[in-house]
Amino acid sequence: MLSPDAFNQMMTMHGVTMIFLFIVPMTTGAFGNYLVPLMLGARDMAFPRLNALSYWLFLGSGLFLYTSVFIGKGPNCGWFCYTPLNTRTYDPGLNVDFYALGLIFNGLSTTAGALNFIVTIFKLRAPGMSLNRMPLFIFAILAVSFSLIFAIPPLTTDLVFLELQRKLGFHFFDVAHGGDPLLWQHLFWLFGHPEVYIIILPAMGIATSIIPTFAKRKMIAFPLVALAELLVAFIGFGVWAHHMFATGLATTTLVFFAAASMMVVIPSSIQIFAWLFTVNLGRPEFRAPLLFIGGFIALFVIGGLSGIMFAAIPFDQATTDTYFVVAHFHFIIFGAAVFPLLGGLYYWFPKVTGRMYHERWGQASFWVTFVGTIVTFFPMHIVGLLGMTRRVYTYEPNLGWDAYNLTETIGAFVLTAGLLMIFGNLLWSRFRGPPSGPDPFYGGTLEWATTSPPPHYNFAVIPTVSSPYPNWDREDREEDVRRFERGLLVFETGHETPASTVRDGYLDEVLEMPSESGLPIVLAFAVSLVFIMLLTTHYVIAGVFLGVAGVVLAAWHAREPAEG
Amino acid sequence: MSSASYAQRVARPNGWWGMAVFVATEATLFGTLIGSYFDLRFKAHHWPPEGVPDPKVAVPLILTAVLVATSLPMQLSVRFARRRLAGLTCLALLVALVVQCGYLAMQIHLYVGDLHHFSPSETAYGSIYFTLVGAHHAHVFVGILLNAWLLLRFATAATAYRVVGLQSTTFYWHFVNVLAVIVTVVQISPSL
Amino acid sequence: MRSVRPELLQWYGLFGAALAWTAQLVLGFGVSYADCNTVGRQWGIDVVTWEIALMVVGGLVAVVAEVAAVSVFLSTRELEYDDPPPAGRRHFFSFAAMLGNLLFINAILISGIAAIANSTCRPL
Repeated sequence: MLSPDAFNQMMTMHGVTMIFLFIVPMTTGAFGNYLVPLMLGARDMAFPRLNALSYWLFLGSGLFLYTSVFIGKGPNCGWFCYTPLNTRTYDPGLNVDFYALGLIFNGLSTTAGALNFIVTIFKLRAPGMSLNRMPLFIFAILAVSFSLIFAIPPLTTDLVFLELQRKLGFHFFDVAHGGDPLLWQHLFWLFGHPEVYIIILPAMGIATSIIPTFAKRKMIAFPLVALAELLVAFIGFGVWAHHMFATGLATTTLVFFAAASMMVVIPSSIQIFAWLFTVNLGRPEFRAPLLFIGGFIALFVIGGLSGIMFAAIPFDQATTDTYFVVAHFHFIIFGAAVFPLLGGLYYWFPKVTGRMYHERWGQASFWVTFVGTIVTFFPMHIVGLLGMTRRVYTYEPNLGWDAYNLTETIGAFVLTAGLLMIFGNLLWSRFRGPPSGPDPFYGGTLEWATTSPPPHYNFAVIPTVSSPYPNWDREDREEDVRRFERGLLVFETGHETPASTVRDGYLDEVLEMPSESGLPIVLAFAVSLVFIMLLTTHYVIAGVFLGVAGVVLAAWHAREPAEG
Repeated sequence: MSSASYAQRVARPNGWWGMAVFVATEATLFGTLIGSYFDLRFKAHHWPPEGVPDPKVAVPLILTAVLVATSLPMQLSVRFARRRLAGLTCLALLVALVVQCGYLAMQIHLYVGDLHHFSPSETAYGSIYFTLVGAHHAHVFVGILLNAWLLLRFATAATAYRVVGLQSTTFYWHFVNVLAVIVTVVQISPSL
Repeated sequence: MRSVRPELLQWYGLFGAALAWTAQLVLGFGVSYADCNTVGRQWGIDVVTWEIALMVVGGLVAVVAEVAAVSVFLSTRELEYDDPPPAGRRHFFSFAAMLGNLLFINAILISGIAAIANSTCRPL
């Protein structure tokens, strides 16, 4: 059906798209950007124009990458694009150059977003929201943002090395001139492993938001869950070479990573037990969002168990490059990252649109999606153990894999039906759903303390906070109303929002935020032109457009907020 | 509560935090460049490879000391700016800028000189040497551009916004200067 | 100034063990990587001594961090995790750090023991 080259492009772009253009932008970018200011009680992100820029850079990088597909030169080296396949000798066309430049481009967007989240979470919290009173979703986004800040530079270095080698004949990865092929892998996985925690942490944040609401109680062991979110991100930086157990590195070198890989499971397990205890000790209402979280927990446990098996070096060496690995990461990425995303779509749909989704249809959509996921991805464990390798465009019949793969295909259709049910539900409800009101589920965090949808300024009066569940502190919310009537903490001159101290959330100053600006789009456009010129080796013109970008940055800072 | 009652900020400004996070990414970038240097070195029989001269020690160290010294006028400029002394701020910035430009000009001269002796496209040593050292020079160049912009702005007035800009840029320069020491030590390490 | 000490203890209790593990991993991996490649033969690195030293020093730094976390927790034990800052915030972080540090101490131990037990440069 697919030629080998078409298969290679599709498989590579599937990985690249899902990771760089779907899951991280959706969870961190979309859910993060929408919910972080609301949950902090702030009116906007710390750097609103940088926020816009990170979106336009994301769009630009996506268009850049997909242009390659439309001209038949899509990346074809796998999403991890190993050396020596990625060199000019073995992959001379533009495919790998689109990959390298496109991902550096995408990394600019993600870095800008991560920077914005960190400063927002540190500085723009509502008065009273000290670090120990931040919602768990905020802890998750903080962990993700720090992870991104430290994970993207290794990828950037790797890709810059690759382009220097391909375009200017430098030698980083080729043995003949003193290079090291494993250098590519080290740098890639220094990025790549934290990336997978970046993928899952926001989903854990969504889960920790949905569970207390529908269990109708606060999260058990709140400080441990908060720390676990930070620990997963931190320890995740110390496990990268478990992707290299089969490369022939000495055991004495690899054991550090085996040890760390076993340790990294523990924070996730703490979270799982906390979630289960919270649901059990509460009065759970299994509406659609909580069903998706239930599915998430089940799939996360299965995926996590197959994952921890890889920490044992001999087992990893036997199953490297088989479908067992594919099964593991699809259970984790689809099961454990996408399910909370789907649950989160239902959960916050009333907040974003002001209308309620259809509950029965929502619950049915969960079951179809859940069954479809299991039928699609579980057989991959078995074919993997039966020896089916990854990344093959075809295989011989009668190897014992056919029935399992056919089952997976049927499962994929069921899964698609489930996803269509979800989107159909949301689309229909957008226009025909009943009004939801500001707080249909009696959630604990501040997004439920404002209207649905929220006004542009999020909160008419800045809320004051004395716990991580401020919407359940009715006295504080009544005090907000009284303050509004007295005109306190309203900040209605221009675009004002308060800033807090970092550790303890004391009100510190009033910030004047910038108004709408065309500069982010212009800058993103200039950056896009830089990358196009680099792709086509017009280095001088690329430099000119870089200069244009510099001028736009100067214009960005030319207009200042009023003094005092 | 009105805006006026919050004239005395306690926490560091958002712009400073933004620069701090940006410095964290750049520090990580250099960490990976230096890690790559040692990865390649650990696998080499001869480092530098045969035919490539050993790096000079004295000149890079002297130049680095000169650059590190500019942290002083930069920090002074922040002191003056906080007291809204625009003229003295400009003077301190100008001193730093002149020295930094001189440093960069000398470094580019040495870089071009190195290119005549060995090429980045012949050996891995050359590739990582020119990439690591060149990356640092690029960061110095960006810092020079930032200083030039600030000089222009402070020539008219010392507003609160510009003071935060100067604080953030000074922090950036302290980072670049510390990095200069580390990169230079790595650069000259085969001769040590 | 009186509040500086519990503050320092809380932050050291939170970050100390994590940084100790990081240092042990980076240096321990680096030393074994250098030794098991070309330069190792030239430099003659005593990997076992390095790994023992890293495990002991890292372990000590981590244990002291745990002691710091426990001391802050005990001095705030009547508080709840969401009580007003700074004491409530110190209670929150010291409680979380007490568990996290055990994880890092364990990681330092098993990494060190494994590196020493497998100290020849053979692949598995």
